Amino acid sequence: MIQGVWWRIAWRNLWRNRRRTLITASALAVGFFGAVLMVALDDGIAAEMVDNGTGVLTGQVQLHAREWRKERSLYATIGGDSGTDVAALLARVRAVSGVAAAAPRVWAGGLLSAGDRTEGVVLMGADFALERGVSRIFESFIAGGAPRERSKELAIGAELARKLAVRTGDVVVVVAPAADGSMGNDLFRISGIYRTGLQDLDGAFAAMPIATLQSLLALGPGRVHEVAVGLADPWAAAAAARATVASLGAAGHRDLEVAPWTVFSPQMNEYVALIKASNGLVVAIVFLFAIFGVANTSLMGTYERRREFAVVRALGVGPGGIARTVVYESVALGLLGLAAGAVITAPVMVWWHHTPLNLAWLFGDLEVAGALVRPVLRIEYGADGPILGAVGLLVTAVLAALYPAVRAARVPPADALAGR
Amino acid sequence: MRRIVPMHAATLFVPALLLAAPVCRAQETPREIVDRVDRMLRGNSSRGDMVMEIATEHWTRSLEMRVWSLGTAYALVRVVAPPKEAGTATLKVNDEVWNYLPRVDRTIKVPPSLMMGSWMGSHFTNDDLVKESRMIDDYDIAIGFEGDREGVAVWEFVLTPKPAAAVVWGKVVEQVRKADLMPTWGRYYDERGNLERTMAFSDFRTFGSRLVPSVMTVRPADKPDERTTIRYRQLEFDVPLTPDFFSLRSLQERRAP
Repeated sequence: MIQGVWWRIAWRNLWRNRRRTLITASALAVGFFGAVLMVALDDGIAAEMVDNGTGVLTGQVQLHAREWRKERSLYATIGGDSGTDVAALLARVRAVSGVAAAAPRVWAGGLLSAGDRTEGVVLMGADFALERGVSRIFESFIAGGAPRERSKELAIGAELARKLAVRTGDVVVVVAPAADGSMGNDLFRISGIYRTGLQDLDGAFAAMPIATLQSLLALGPGRVHEVAVGLADPWAAAAAARATVASLGAAGHRDLEVAPWTVFSPQMNEYVALIKASNGLVVAIVFLFAIFGVANTSLMGTYERRREFAVVRALGVGPGGIARTVVYESVALGLLGLAAGAVITAPVMVWWHHTPLNLAWLFGDLEVAGALVRPVLRIEYGADGPILGAVGLLVTAVLAALYPAVRAARVPPADALAGR
Repeated sequence: MRRIVPMHAATLFVPALLLAAPVCRAQETPREIVDRVDRMLRGNSSRGDMVMEIATEHWTRSLEMRVWSLGTAYALVRVVAPPKEAGTATLKVNDEVWNYLPRVDRTIKVPPSLMMGSWMGSHFTNDDLVKESRMIDDYDIAIGFEGDREGVAVWEFVLTPKPAAAVVWGKVVEQVRKADLMPTWGRYYDERGNLERTMAFSDFRTFGSRLVPSVMTVRPADKPDERTTIRYRQLEFDVPLTPDFFSLRSLQERRAP
C-alpha cells in the first residue's frame, strides 16, 4: 500500500519534466535496441557457421561404432565385423523426433591416380538420394552430377580435379587398402565435380556409391562406418542425440556412439561458446555508455529538487524514503525505456531476419573453424538478446540512480529551506 | 611414421656384391664397419624369390614375390602368388616408386605425401624402399656396446640423425655379430625416444658364396601381435642386369623374365 504510493509519486515526478524524461528514456531504448541487435547478429554469425559447418557434409548428429572416432579404422563398422541391418537402423533413427533425414556412409583412405598424377584422398561411400536431406555437398556441382547408384562413378572436388588434371567423363584409378589385406583397385569415371569452398572437401575428397566402395574395400553390404543425421534445428542436436540413444538402446544397439556436432566438431562448439560469451560483454559495453547519461540526468533532477526534498524531510520522511523515491523514478524511467525499446526493436528484428544483409558483393565466402560462412549479416531470434538487454537496461537505471539517490538523501532540510 | 634404415632395405631387396672377408680390420671406425656391413649385404645386382607374410589384428596373408636389384638405385618387386595379386609390382628408381596394378592395367606413381604409407599392405613403408644406403650419410654412428652377448661377440651401434638429415627416426640401435658381420636386430625410436618398431634377422644362410640373413621380421612396437616377415627362398648375386631393365615397361610385364 505504502509501496504503491512511492511508485505513484515516482511516476508523477517523471512527467514533471516531460522532455528530459523522454530524451533519457530514448537513450535507454536505443541502448536496448543496440544490445539486442548486436546479440542477434552474433547469434546470426554462430547460426550461419553451424548451419554450414554441419550442413555441408557432417550432418548434426552422427552414429558410429564406439571406437570409430579415435582411429577411424576401416574395421570399426557399426555392429562390428558382422555389420548391421542398415535399413532397419536408418528407419529407427528417422523415427526419432526432430530427425529430418539419415544417411549411411562408408569411409576409407585411398589414392586417386590419373596419368602420372596421384593424390591421397578420403573416400566416401554414400547413398546420394538419402544424402539430400543430410548434406549439401552434392548440391554444389559445377560440372556433371552425383554418381549413379551402384555405378563405378566418382564425384570429386574442383581443386582435386585441377591437381589430377581431369574433367567429368575422364577415368581415374582408385586404390584403397581393403579389409581383407588386399589392395582394392578399380577404374572409375568422374561423374561430377563440385565446389564447396572448403579446402579439405575440394582438394582431397572423393565420393562414390556406397555399395561400390563396400565392394572395393571387401566389406559386406551390412557394414557402414557412419550414419549421419540431419535435424530440422541444429541447436537441438544434443537433445536429438539423447533421444536417438534412448531409441537405439531400446532396440539393442548399445555399442554405438551417438555424437551431436558439439561433440564431433569441438572446434566449432568452442567458437560458438566464445560468441555466446562475448554477448554479455557487448551488452555491458552498450549500457556502460548509457549509464553516465542517465546518472547525469538523475543528478540534475535531484539538484533542482533540493527544496522539495527538504520539505519532504521536514514533513517527517527519513533519508531512506528520499533515496527510494529517486531510485524508483529511475526504475520507472527504465521500464519506460524498455517498453519504447521493445517497440522500436521488434519490427527491425523481424524485417532483418527475413531480409538478411548480403555482403557477397563486398566479400567472398569465408572459412571459419572449418565451416563455410557466407558473407551474409543475418540475425537470429533468441531469448538471450532481449533478456540480456532488459537486465542490462534495468541494472543501468538502478546503478545510475544510486549516487543521485545518496546525494538527495543527504540534503540537510534546514539549510536547503533557508536557501543555503 | 616408420622408416626402415637403409641397411635393412638393402638386406631386404638388394643383397650385397662386395664380399668382404668377414674379418674385423684393425682401426676401423664404427662408420666404416657399418658401411662394410651395408656393402656386404647389398650387391651390384641380385635376383631372388621371397615370401612376405603379413599378420595384422584383422587378417594374415602371404605373398610370393620375385625381386631384382641393381646397386642402390634400382629395384623391382613382382608378386607371383596368390593368383589374385599376381602381377602386382613395384619399381623403385632412385627416390621414386611406382606401383603396377594388373587388374586395371595401370601404373601409379607414389606421391611424396604417401611415401610413409604401407608398402603392399605390409609393415614396411614405400619410404623403406627408397631410403636405402643413406644410413652412413644421414646418421652419426657410435658404438654403444662392444663385447659378448649370449656367448657371441657383438657390436651395438647407436645411430643418431645428423642435425640436417631428413629422417624420421630419432635414434636407431642395432646389433651386429663381430665374427661374420651379420646384423641380428635393429630397434627404431621416434624423436621422443619411444620405441617405434623392431626388426629381427635370423636364419643366416649362404646363397651362392654369400652369407645373408634369410629371414627378417619387423614388428610395430604399438601392436606387438602384428608383424611382417620376409623369407628368402632363393637368392643369386651378380646377375647380369642393366638399368634398362628397371623400366615402367618391365614393371607392367606379367611374366617374370
